[in-house]
Amino acid sequence: MPKNEFFETMGDKVGHTIEKKLRYYFEVKNEDLHEVINYIFNNMGCRLSTATATEIYRGIEVLYHFSHDKTGTYYCPRIIMKDKEKPQMNSITPIVRGAEWIEREMAEMFGIDFIGHPRKEPLLTRNNPTVEKLPLRLRRVS
Amino acid sequence: MSMVNNVPIGPYHPLLEEAEYFNIVVDGETVVDIDMDIGWMHRGHEFISEQKSFTQSIYLVERICGICSTSHPLACVHAIEDIDNVEIPERAAYIRSLVGELERIHSHLLWFGLAGHFIGYDTVWMWAWKYREPILQMFEIISGNRNHYGMMRVGGVARDIDLARIPEMMETLDMVDEKMNMIAKVANDDPVLKSRLKGVGVLTHKDAVDLCANGPTARASGVNTDVRQDEPNDAYGWLDFNVPVLHNGDVYDKFVVRVLEVIESTKICRQCLEKLKTVKGPILNNVKHISPGEGIGRYEAPRGEVFHFIKSDGTNRPIRHKVRAPSFANIPTYVASCKGIPLADALITLASVDPCYCCTERSLKVVDKNRDPYKIDLLKLSREKTQDIRSEYHV
Repeated sequence: MPKNEFFETMGDKVGHTIEKKLRYYFEVKNEDLHEVINYIFNNMGCRLSTATATEIYRGIEVLYHFSHDKTGTYYCPRIIMKDKEKPQMNSITPIVRGAEWIEREMAEMFGIDFIGHPRKEPLLTRNNPTVEKLPLRLRRVS
Repeated sequence: MSMVNNVPIGPYHPLLEEAEYFNIVVDGETVVDIDMDIGWMHRGHEFISEQKSFTQSIYLVERICGICSTSHPLACVHAIEDIDNVEIPERAAYIRSLVGELERIHSHLLWFGLAGHFIGYDTVWMWAWKYREPILQMFEIISGNRNHYGMMRVGGVARDIDLARIPEMMETLDMVDEKMNMIAKVANDDPVLKSRLKGVGVLTHKDAVDLCANGPTARASGVNTDVRQDEPNDAYGWLDFNVPVLHNGDVYDKFVVRVLEVIESTKICRQCLEKLKTVKGPILNNVKHISPGEGIGRYEAPRGEVFHFIKSDGTNRPIRHKVRAPSFANIPTYVASCKGIPLADALITLASVDPCYCCTERSLKVVDKNRDPYKIDLLKLSREKTQDIRSEYHV
């Protein structure tokens, strides 16, 4: 575990961590997500750059990218949903307003249900009459 | 009795270079709500990039935006280099920063022109675009292209700078500096411009932080964020420059932040060119293989932070390539900055974030609650407001 105030405060709420120069990638359980995000955003003053969803062997992964602008460091909490058919996780939009569009995009591209999101509707494909369902998962679905 | 109307803007509108749709809800002349509908220009760059090699992806992302056509490749190569902690030669670092800053100058000059046009300052429009032209010619000297420069490579840059052309590039920078000081003086002295832009479309510091705004949009609201100072890539760690931060969050401060940024950019370009006279050596490190891993790359584009995330499995192509342009974070701030403003100020408030826009048509449609359409010209409305202020000042 990196020697850092964030990791010392969060303790076992932070799982497997990859540390690189100015980058921390770490796994967080869905039930601990709000507490971790609240600390990163409100206590540490990080800014949400964006989030990346990816289909991996273990399921569907969502990686948030929080920039700590004062130090140039990125804190990237990683959530892994094992159920590829109905991936579900808590939305962070109630804590970080800037996440609204980011989560809507991930929902339509990967089929993730963000619980507690204030506006569950497509962002980019709403007006596309011929859009494929879950376009960024197409080639990976068995 | 109040009457609520909907004012749809887009998806194809002169304000917007990209197709976007805004539904402005007005009560009388006051904007009470705004809804954005994007996706009209979604081209699936992330999906396409995942079918290409790393080198091909750099060319692909260069075509995401015509104006920021060096910011996306720069962020992309930063992300790939971040996977393996690739170092680049010193000379390449100065060339990257030079090209990046020239892009900031030409992009901001483009914005000054359009902003001037929207509020009835057509002379500013013509001057700004006139001064932008020599910058595009500088790009031609450096890369052979006025746009889509093809300069970025993993490990360095593709082309060196011709030392014999440095004096004429310095002259161009001197000219831009002089003209920007003139525009700064206009912004400071012109009472009409101040009356027209001060207090208009305010984005508060709290809203900018909550909505995760970035770039000049955030810096005009007192948020001190700039990738060049927060995580100084390329040559930025060796260069002397300031990051202008203002605190009112209105359109005027967004204008002034950009003026000051152009002046800082000319300073950076001069330092880079001076260094390139003496710093010798290669411009490209040979990178043959990208290891499995994850990399974050970002660059402070003219509009804000361009962010790229790349995941590699050790093959020659990314298995995931996430791209986030600054407008994606800044356009949602309209919800905070447009509410409560007069309809005549809506155009310049939408433009103040600097979404991509061009000038083709000038009309939009207003639909009242009975769905009866009637025509209104938002540009005309905006310019008439400036004319009214001019009349008050007898100019």
